[in-house]
Amino acid sequence: MGQIVTITSGKGGVGKSTTTANLSAALALLGKKVVAVDFDIGLRNLDMILGLENRIVYDIVDVMEGNCNLAQAIIKDKRTPNLHFIPASQTKDKNVLDKQKVEKVLSDLKKEFDYVLIDSPAGIESGFEHSIFLADRTIIVTTPEISAVRDADRVIGIIDAKSQKAINGEEVEKHIIINRLKPELVEKRDMLNVDDVLHILSLPLIGVVPDTEDIVSSTNVGEPIVYNPKSLAGEAFRRIARRIEGEDVPLLEIKANNGIFAKIKGLFK
Amino acid sequence: MSLFGLFSKKSSAKTAKDRLMMVLEYERASTKINNIEQMKQDIIEVIKKYVKVKDINIKNHSNQDFNALELEIILDK
Repeated sequence: MGQIVTITSGKGGVGKSTTTANLSAALALLGKKVVAVDFDIGLRNLDMILGLENRIVYDIVDVMEGNCNLAQAIIKDKRTPNLHFIPASQTKDKNVLDKQKVEKVLSDLKKEFDYVLIDSPAGIESGFEHSIFLADRTIIVTTPEISAVRDADRVIGIIDAKSQKAINGEEVEKHIIINRLKPELVEKRDMLNVDDVLHILSLPLIGVVPDTEDIVSSTNVGEPIVYNPKSLAGEAFRRIARRIEGEDVPLLEIKANNGIFAKIKGLFK
Repeated sequence: MSLFGLFSKKSSAKTAKDRLMMVLEYERASTKINNIEQMKQDIIEVIKKYVKVKDINIKNHSNQDFNALELEIILDK
């Protein structure tokens, strides 16, 4: 029996889909059988980040409405044989999901895969509630910015109130990913640091991902950054995947580039 | 350094943290209690019997170890 991991955030644009794509790929590279499911109905995006947009025939709503069976909607990644993907519907809106049908699909997936990663929609409406309801564990992505941290806090409260495990009195595992940390700003104390964010949200950290330029080009070409062995952001995501697997991995050291060349470059900015 | 920077020694990250903690104390209370406005009114009704109240603020203080609601009763002069 696999586990359902929901990647969520509250605020949009903090890197949920990028995180889902990279953790799915990294877990698959570790030899786990993974399926990434896009729950952002009507605003499909995970397909492009994974570079699988040209292979879509059916989507998750087709499965739930009986237009195809589950196996037909699962896309196998050709680069990483263990990685699978189910797209969101682009034409329907997010109110189309129905609790029983979501439950059926997710429990079928759980039987077949080691990890079911759900890319939750932003916001706290029904689509979000469906994506957290059956979660065994949740990962809350935030950036070190006021609005993202505030929304993350709100979402944490809702997970505690609305997920099935929480309703049954069990603990849903919750972890924080701090994404897009800019070490230069943190050193100047012009950006919340890791301790600030953890102190405010009072949840355990599962990883910090630096704001690197290579992540933009990786999204442009549809190749998750974890495939790039030199990328610092890629390394951050690979380490998070190992932590999900229960391994004790040290935090990545993220330092500002304060060398003399950076200073000279700064003079001409 | 900007002109503004000359006057404010406090780092902006510190300000961000303080503002967030302040706002979240109130917001957490309303996530925990469904009918917080109704509860406020009820509490005001009870307290009114004894003192003159102007308003009530409900804050939430919680971390992994404890979870508490704080009532701030503002009296009418």
